[in-house]
This record gives sequence, structure tokens and C-alpha cells, in this order.
Amino acid sequence: MSRMSESKFVESFKTAHGDKIESAEMLRSMRASVLVKRETFIEVAKVLRDEFGFTIPVSGGAIDYPKEDRMQMMYYLMHPEERFILIYRVDLPREDLKLSTLTQVWEAMSFHEREAHEMFGIEFEGHPNMIPLLLPPDWKGGHPLRKDFKGEGVAE
Amino acid sequence: MQEESKELRRNFDSVPGSGIVYNVVDYLLGWARKYSIWPIHFVTGCCSPEFMQVSGSEYDMERLGILPFASVRQCDCIMVVGIVSRKMALRVKYLYEQMGEPKYVVSVGACPTGKGPFYDSYAAVAVDDYVPVDVYIPGCPPRPEAIIHGMMLLQEKIKKEKRLGVKNV
Amino acid sequence: MSEPEIVPDIMRISWGPQHPMSGQTRILLDLDGEKVHRIIADLGFTHRGIEKILENRTYLQGIVPIERMVMADTPNIGLCYIKAIEEAMGVEVPERANWIRSLVCEMARINSHLYAFGLQAESTGYFPAVFLWTTVDRAWILQLFAELTGARWSLNFFLPGGVYKDLPEGFENKIIEGVNYLRRRFQKYWDAMVENYTFEMRCNDVAILKPEDAIRLGATGPVLRGSGVAIDIRKDEPYAAYGDLDFEVITEDACDSMARTKVRFREIVQALNMMEQIAKEIPDGPVRTRVPFFARPKAGEYLSRVETSRGELGVHLFTDGGMNPYRVKINSPTLRNMYVFERLAELDEILMADIPVVINSIDPWYLDSDR
Repeated sequence: MSRMSESKFVESFKTAHGDKIESAEMLRSMRASVLVKRETFIEVAKVLRDEFGFTIPVSGGAIDYPKEDRMQMMYYLMHPEERFILIYRVDLPREDLKLSTLTQVWEAMSFHEREAHEMFGIEFEGHPNMIPLLLPPDWKGGHPLRKDFKGEGVAE
Repeated sequence: MQEESKELRRNFDSVPGSGIVYNVVDYLLGWARKYSIWPIHFVTGCCSPEFMQVSGSEYDMERLGILPFASVRQCDCIMVVGIVSRKMALRVKYLYEQMGEPKYVVSVGACPTGKGPFYDSYAAVAVDDYVPVDVYIPGCPPRPEAIIHGMMLLQEKIKKEKRLGVKNV
Repeated sequence: MSEPEIVPDIMRISWGPQHPMSGQTRILLDLDGEKVHRIIADLGFTHRGIEKILENRTYLQGIVPIERMVMADTPNIGLCYIKAIEEAMGVEVPERANWIRSLVCEMARINSHLYAFGLQAESTGYFPAVFLWTTVDRAWILQLFAELTGARWSLNFFLPGGVYKDLPEGFENKIIEGVNYLRRRFQKYWDAMVENYTFEMRCNDVAILKPEDAIRLGATGPVLRGSGVAIDIRKDEPYAAYGDLDFEVITEDACDSMARTKVRFREIVQALNMMEQIAKEIPDGPVRTRVPFFARPKAGEYLSRVETSRGELGVHLFTDGGMNPYRVKINSPTLRNMYVFERLAELDEILMADIPVVINSIDPWYLDSDR
């Protein structure tokens, strides 16, 4: 469990697969981040799981940048031996929020994708069970965690 | 059946001294009812560990007769303990309708009263939009002494009720 | 309701929020006779929208809603949020404050694990007496919290830069007294629960979760350590004073419900030893570095992780230079473990009567998964 393993990972990843991703960097000790393009999203995920050994799915969530007209979907992964967190990110334009589901690579991302769908409105293609997770089933308002949510859907 | 009992009551009311009988009967029934309030074994939010401490060994709620009971038809109180979201508020209303008369609602904590520290939440509601509340106990979480004081206020309310507290007769 | 379809010859039971053992959630069980064919968890009954609320609070005000995520274990959650803010502001925490933080966190861990035992004992059907024992034993922890911070459950004791105030006079002696008391009581719990023939019959070989499945499905906390995988954030990324205390990562190899319960038992013993070590060896010094009240950290993203009693909690803080956070993403441990619970029916044969024992061996706190 050496402290240099995050930078070693970032270097070896960039040399091997640098053309499929937008950027990869080490944020600080024990935190690394990879920003990938939407087209190579599943392919690079399979490489991370099989070649580099990121087998523990931790969590997933999204963030809304209305000023730059994009949303970013983030997945948190952990390596069982090296124990650092890798944040796997992909940018989506706000008009076209579609992404292939990551449950085909790590099946435990199912709950987090359901939550991102109801909170932000991102469509995940191929998800086995896309029903609301936290909001009531008769929720008629917008998507709560977007920056332009005005509180609708609360009153009866 | 209702007209006959109203007829009997009107005849009885005209007898002098009938008020004393009503007062004695109400007093005895109120005394019996106030020392056995059975709430539903149901917690909705984060004040639940404090509720369990109150029914535990140090601040014993059962010496006042308050026994959390699982079967809804045999309970007379619903203690809404903690934050109520919209999904849960429909269940609270459903349980309130299932209980038999007379029934009471106690809102424990700042959250069911008026959303508490989550006052601008899009998913939480105040419980008195769904069921009529009798006693509000503030606090986040309320101290066990405060919960017992709130239940004693409910006992005072029951003691003063006329005609068994039934609201729809 | 938009739920998965019912298969013919299968009976669906809705085990709902009003049940003494279900907690604040609804679990749909598809039953084939006594055997559980499928489990579907319906979460969201305690959803408050904490992530949205934190965007409308300043950094110091945000400690109040976020600590109410798990009421039995609030210092660990507050510490995660405060660590993210300290990283954003670049604040150095004095050493005595770190030791006090570890002390309060370990007391909360004992509190939460005792609560889990009480529920586990009640779920086997006839140990409500053990649940009442735990209310007495937790009472001294809550009494110590009230003396130290003023509140029993939601302490709000940590501030960016340290802790709110120093330990009162004679507090270390009270800690050692309480530790000795709980060590004597611990033998009773061991005899009543772990070495008890009836409890073993209910919990041994129930819901076996193999290590490779636990890793693949994303289990965390005692659920993962009860399957033999030794992952503990206090050892991987030492925070507060955990780099200086001597403890070890506790694992069990049996992978069933009894193993998960035993992990919690042994963690309580270890937490008592750590508390005693802290009370004897705590260094002197200041307890707080002053930070401006309306501070604006620099723009960026900061992820902090903490080992709560249910597993790994992560708080990912996005700042944009203003007074409020831009976004706070919370990685909840119970949401990971609820996915494992849903898949347990496919991994091992579970009977309907075992479901309360299984779910309390996973120890969910639904306000944590719903946020």
C-alpha cells in the first residue's frame, strides 16, 4: 500500500490508453480522477476493472453546471489492494442527457443511477430496473438537484 | 339507535341532578383512559433513538401506562416521532384512519411540527397538514423529560374531555 | 406503483413502515412457500433532500442538518464534513483536538453498536430484555456526552480548526470509570447473545456472503469485515488521532450473520481499549485554531472519507469561492449495504422467519440511505 501508487497508476494509464480519455490526474494523495469521453465510456470502464483491478464500486452521483451548459456524472471506485479512490467522470451536454448504464460493468451502481435519474434527469440506456428510488411515486415536479429547480412538486 | 339514545339523553337531562352523574362518570372514565394510552409502535425519523430511551429503563414511560403496541386497531394514540416525508405522511394518515375512536396524535420533535432544521426541504411536510394534532413537543431531539411532560399534557387533556372524547357521534 | 412484476405462484408480502422490526422502510418479499425468492427494497420514506439543503446554508450552518443523518453516530458524520471544509480552507488542527475527536468518535461507535445489538436481540423474537439492557448501558455514554457538549445525540461539537471547548475537570477519570463498568457488563452480553445456544441456532449459517461477492456488490463496514475482507478507513487513511492509537482491523471468517454480529462485539471491546488509552495519554495544548466565522474557501473539490459504525462515509464538497457550497455529494454506507441485502436472496437460501435477523445483522439506518 505505497503512497506513490496513485501517480504510478495515472502515468501507466495515460501511456496505455491516453487516446480514449480526456484527462487523468492525481488530485492529492489517495485521490485520482479520470475524465473520459462519452463514446469510450464502457470500454475504458472494462479496462479499469479487468486490467487495473478497480473492483469495488463505492458510489455514483452527478453535478450540474448550468453556466457551462453541461452536467457531469461521477462514479467513485476503489482498488482493494491500493485503497485509493478513483473518480470516474463523464461530461454530458445539457440538451442530450443520455449515457449507457454502468451496471454492465459494476452491478452495484444500479441504485446510484436510479437516484441520478430522478434527481437530475439523466437517462441511462439499458438499466434493468429504472424506477424512482427516493422520491414518492406520484412526484409531479421537476428534477430536484438541478440548479433551476424552483420547489415545484411539493404541494399537493 | 342514535335517535333513541338522543331521546334517552334528553329525557335524562331534564331530571334535576343529572349533571353530577355525567361529571362522575366522565371523571372515572377519564381517569381510567388517561393512565393507559397505547401508542402505535411506529417511528418516522431521527428522533427514534430518543423515543426508545424514553421507553427504556432510565426514563420509564410504561409506569405512566404508555405501552407501544404493534396492532393498530387496539391503540389510541399515534406518536409521530421525527421527520415526515410525503411518502410517509400518506401512511401516517392511513394509520390514523384505521385507529378506533377516541384517538390522539402527538407530534414529537421540531420536525413534524414545522420541518425543524430542514425548513426549506422539498420532500418533508408538516404533519398537521395530514392529521389533526393534539400535543406538540418541541426539541431536536426533545429530552426524555420533555417527552414525558408532553404525554402528561395529553393526560390532562383526556381528563378534561366530555363524553369519552369521541368526536364523531 | 411501478414495481417489478409478480411471477405466477409467488406470493408478495409488503413488510411496511409500521412494523416493530422493519424500521422506516418498506420491503417487498416474494415468497415461494417459506423460502424467499426475491427481495425488493422500497426506500425513500425519510428523504429530506439534505444535499439540496446544504447548498442553501453557509459552511458552519451546514453542520446542523448533516449531523442528523444517523442519530446514533453523529460525531463520525460531522467529522467527515468538517474534514472536507478544513481541507478546503487549509486549516491545521492542533494535536489535543485530534485526540478529543477520536475519543468522541469512539464513544459514538460504542453507542451505535449497542443500539444494533439491541435490535438484533429483539429481532430474534425473545430477547427484548437485552434491548432494555442496552438502553441502560447507553445512558452513561449519553450522560458523558451531555456533560461534555450539552446535547445527548446530535453533538455539533466539532468546528473547522478543532473542537468547541476543552474537556472539563475530572473527565478522564469518569471515562476510565465508565470503561471499567462496561467491561463488566460486556461479559453478560457475551453470555446472553454470542455463547448462547438459542441465539447461535438463529444466527449461524444464515445468509452467507462470500468475500468475492461482498467486494463485487460493494459491501462496506462490518458487513464486509464479517466476510473476511480487512478494509477499514481508519487504517488506510488515518485521520484524527488514529495514526497514534493502537488498534487493529477486526475480521471474522464465517461470513454469516453471527460473524457480522461478532465483528461488532469485538469492535466495542477495542473501542473501550482505545478510550482508555486516550484518557491516559492525551497530550496537552490548545484545542482550537481560530477560523473566521464567514470564511470563503478557495474554489475546488475536496473528498473526505471516514469510517462510521456502518461503513465508509464520503463527503465530496464542491466549492466555488462563495459563502455556500456549490454541491455536496454524500456517499452513504447504508445505500451500499441495502444493495447487498437485495441480492442476498439469490446468493443463499433464506427463509421468511430469518429476514429480521438478516436485516439487523446488516444494520441499516434508513435516514442514512435516504439522506
